[in-house]
Amino acid sequence: MGVENPAEVAKFIIRSRIADPLFVYSYFSQLPDSNYSKLKYIISSSVTEACNNSVLLLGPRGCGKTAVLELVLEDLLKEHPDMISVVKLNGLLHSDNNCALKEIARQVCMEHQLQFSKMASFDENSKFLLSILRECGLAHKTIVFVLEEFDLFTEGKQRLLYSLLDAMQSVSSQAVVVGVSCRLDADQLLEKRVRSRFSHRKLLFLSSPGEDFQRLAEHILLLPMDSRLPNDFRASFNEKLLNILAGEEFKGVVDQLCYSDSTVSHLLRFLFCAVCHMDLSSGSLSIQNFKSALPSIQRQPKQEALKDCSVLQLYLLVCMKRLEVKEVELCNFNSIMKEYKSIPDSFQTCDNFARNVCLRAFEHLLQRGLVSFQDNRGQGQSTEFRPVKLLISWHELQQGLQSFPSCPVLLHKLMAREG
Amino acid sequence: MPAFAALRQFPSSDPTSETIVAVTPRKTRLRSDSDAAIGSPLRKSPRLCKEGTPHSSPTASIRKCLKTSLNLSGSPQKKQLSEDFVERQNWNPRDETQRRAANEALHVSTAQMNVVCRENEQNRILDFCKKCIKEEKAGSLYVCGCPGTGKTLSMEKVKVMLADWENEECIQYPDVLPINCTSLANMNDIFSKIIEKNHSGKKRSRSTSSLQQLQNLYSQQTPGMKMILVIADELDYLITRDRAVLHDLFMLTTLPFSKCILLGVANAIDLADRFIPKLRSLNCKPMVITFCAYSKDQIINILQERLRAVPYTVFQPQALELCARKVAAASGDMRKALAVCRSAIEILIGDSMLSSLDGPEDQHKPAENVSMSNQVRIDHVAAALSKVYKSPVVDTIISLPQHQQIILCSAVKLFRGGKKKDTTLGELNKYYVDVCKSTSIPPVGILELSSMCRVLDDQGILKLGQSRDDKLRRVTLKVDGADIVFALQGVRFFRNCLQ
Repeated sequence: MGVENPAEVAKFIIRSRIADPLFVYSYFSQLPDSNYSKLKYIISSSVTEACNNSVLLLGPRGCGKTAVLELVLEDLLKEHPDMISVVKLNGLLHSDNNCALKEIARQVCMEHQLQFSKMASFDENSKFLLSILRECGLAHKTIVFVLEEFDLFTEGKQRLLYSLLDAMQSVSSQAVVVGVSCRLDADQLLEKRVRSRFSHRKLLFLSSPGEDFQRLAEHILLLPMDSRLPNDFRASFNEKLLNILAGEEFKGVVDQLCYSDSTVSHLLRFLFCAVCHMDLSSGSLSIQNFKSALPSIQRQPKQEALKDCSVLQLYLLVCMKRLEVKEVELCNFNSIMKEYKSIPDSFQTCDNFARNVCLRAFEHLLQRGLVSFQDNRGQGQSTEFRPVKLLISWHELQQGLQSFPSCPVLLHKLMAREG
Repeated sequence: MPAFAALRQFPSSDPTSETIVAVTPRKTRLRSDSDAAIGSPLRKSPRLCKEGTPHSSPTASIRKCLKTSLNLSGSPQKKQLSEDFVERQNWNPRDETQRRAANEALHVSTAQMNVVCRENEQNRILDFCKKCIKEEKAGSLYVCGCPGTGKTLSMEKVKVMLADWENEECIQYPDVLPINCTSLANMNDIFSKIIEKNHSGKKRSRSTSSLQQLQNLYSQQTPGMKMILVIADELDYLITRDRAVLHDLFMLTTLPFSKCILLGVANAIDLADRFIPKLRSLNCKPMVITFCAYSKDQIINILQERLRAVPYTVFQPQALELCARKVAAASGDMRKALAVCRSAIEILIGDSMLSSLDGPEDQHKPAENVSMSNQVRIDHVAAALSKVYKSPVVDTIISLPQHQQIILCSAVKLFRGGKKKDTTLGELNKYYVDVCKSTSIPPVGILELSSMCRVLDDQGILKLGQSRDDKLRRVTLKVDGADIVFALQGVRFFRNCLQ
């Protein structure tokens, strides 16, 4: 093994950090007033004070609810070994009451090395659940029920939720119910009985772009002390990185990134992409890496398809747009050809191709997905007669024309006449 | 240790219970500690208890002691109250044991010795049961009320009081069968449970169902059959489309030689009227007892009763009153009041932790100020109330990414004027592009727009329908337009846009 390029090692370290959610969200565990600390307080107080609790984690997808919960549970298992046992249910799989009870029995049996029988009936499973809650309460062991996709458990008669929350109202059990959902009104979906037994604690995971993201990026991207990295390389890398992250250009890139989606997972994807663009010869990240990562995150597939079109295909698209504006009822290849033929009449141009050439171009448009048939009915008919529709909007077409390298001025005029 | 010294006073005024052995405080408070403090001499290990009627459950032995302490309640309690007023110390939220004591007193699952504010209803139920047992007749009673009004709690108390009365009067007490109807897999299981309980000796015949067996039994005179008291919780889970099960259950009590006393608990006030009309025609409607929602005074009463177990003043009286007022106005649900109180304590603890981080400057505060600041004040309770009753919608909208806020803004503009309530994705796209053009933000394409709408649908802000064509999917706003306007008013662009 020869001398490894320290840049490669750095890239490897950073990429493995980004891919590890526990490392990423450990940043949030350092903040004093974060959701991590609140959740940890709730669960640890139930463990130490032997009281029951229920809490709901709400937030859009990808904002780190499950990751923070995993982090909290892992930390608590280290602090209080043998006092916590975790049962995980998912609303997509276990929303049916029978299924859920069976799954709870299976997980508990697996954890405590008991015999699990697949033939156990619903009654037996529910008795088992009650007795396990009682036994764990006597043994001062807390069971944490994690219900993912909590809003899917609220469909139907909500028997599972009722029985779990009702069991927590008694003194003999010691359990915590943690619901994770992306619906903000998840607790409004509960029946009034179940809602009365639920303790109304909600932790909102709101994504906070801007300032926080800069610090999160620092947490992830700054290289740690590692034996494989020479110290001076590490120092210069970190210094350059801090300069970039504090700069205005980076802020602009992040703002543009957060226009459409500001969840943590989206930002992590962006960082991963930027790190992959890192130039190994220069040995450090530059602002150019971040800028080139942006278009690969915010892809515009239609624009890319338009870039590869020929001028004739652009003509055909513009003709289809004009037909749409004129509100012609039937739009098929023949009507497009008619419109196309009428262009040389109004404008003096020699761009006039034969019918079969146009048909070929049209078929290419169909294959590329910029145009499609209206419906699947006329399979037997030939391409010329079947009605078609445009899959690209006015604005996207205009943008594509503007960025097309050698777009004839006539096309712009044609577009503008209708616009 | 102040905690245990004060506790020791309580049972010492009661000569029948044992004195507590001083226990060194452990880091983790074990549940057995609280039982020991009540002083139950007959406590056996619950693991050795067999499953059976509630009479042999471990809690019965604890209840026997509670009952004795209640029976001697005359003067010792009054003495204890005056002692409380003198003894009330200041609560230090930073002390872990004190904090735990306060939390335990306010937890929903803590067993209550005195159940206040429901004496009237409990006496009525007790009288009904006594009458039925004395006359050896069957009867049915229906208890209704909103969630959190103390129905199940009162039923437990009535069971205890009934057992005492039977002990005193030396009457053979009936079998008690508590059923929670949510745990029934099949509706008809309730009848087989009744048969098992009452006539476990008799063999079940295969040909007849449990319901028919019961009906046969109750139609003939069988000497020496014990009465059975059935307490059916969450009765509305038994409602089926043809209402057969509920109907048959209540009809069991009308059969000539029936020995079944039925106490049904549910939320709906008119369950008997709506679902069992035949009973009215047979003139045997069940007696209905309504548990009204708690009023402000009742809530204050109950909270004070609970807090009496903690020998410190935890709450300022105005704070308790605010909590009771708000909860009584909203739903009268006692569980909510307890949750708000616990939440307020947590907020106080959080504040005191933060102020302790501030440093030693606080030590210069005068003593009374410290004692004041250690109690739960109105602002803590107000913060807790807003956490419980506020919806997270406004906060979430404020923290949405910009394009999603523009989508919501264009949706509000579309639906303004009240002409239509839903629209297609294509229409929304047009408005969205217009709004984007008026600032210089480039609009995203229709694909990206539809995925953003799907994210908003996941969160419950929009509702997206299904359609073959993406552009024809129907879009409705599920959040009030006024909420969106309120949330977005901080940004000048949206303010101008939504004028």
